[in-house]
Amino acid sequence: MNSLVVFTVIDIVLLIAGLAIYLFIVGGQLTRVATGLEECNELVQKIKDNASSIEGNLEHINRTGRVIAGALPLLYGMAEGIVVGATYEAEKVPARGPALPASGRRRSRLHDGVGYLPDGPGKSAHAPLADQAESA
Amino acid sequence: MVFALTENQETLWQIANWAGLAVVVAVAALLTILVVLVRTIEHRVAGIKATLTEAEANTSDAALLNTTAAGVDLVLAEGLEHHLFLGRVLGKVRS
Repeated sequence: MNSLVVFTVIDIVLLIAGLAIYLFIVGGQLTRVATGLEECNELVQKIKDNASSIEGNLEHINRTGRVIAGALPLLYGMAEGIVVGATYEAEKVPARGPALPASGRRRSRLHDGVGYLPDGPGKSAHAPLADQAESA
Repeated sequence: MVFALTENQETLWQIANWAGLAVVVAVAALLTILVVLVRTIEHRVAGIKATLTEAEANTSDAALLNTTAAGVDLVLAEGLEHHLFLGRVLGKVRS
């Protein structure tokens, strides 16, 4: 009789303890799952916000790209027309002799600084090319 | 206080006790399966979170499409300038 009572009590205690332990374990796991799902929800909202501007901007880029692609053959045609109609003639370079080094006495500028202009052989001592340029 | 039970009643009590023990074992087995399944769900939620994190990083630069669209508009405006220039030059070349 007593053993039956003890066995019954043990049975009930085992049932309650088992349920409590498993409830604790499953509760912890579900809490972590809920936290993870909340973070997933935030990430999905961020992705949605990021992706909201993709469609409009891509349509804009595609529309503008189509306009550019359609206009480029026109520009090619105009450029080819310019090349065909161009009548460019290169300017002729006049022939001249070789450059000679400056020879003779160089005119001293010290006299000019003091206002003295001597009349001598070095009065017009310039480089030959400079003389030609001045005479021309 | 003395309980007087017949032998048949004691036998039924014992059967009820063993049945209760069997129920406890069955409940433990089912709850073990539940814990394993919830653990699987937890791992898969972690995997989904990692995937969503990568997807969020991939789409975080989508705002640059606005800048790209503005740049393409500038290309179109420059192309119109070229069109006007080439039109003027072509008219002078043909004249």
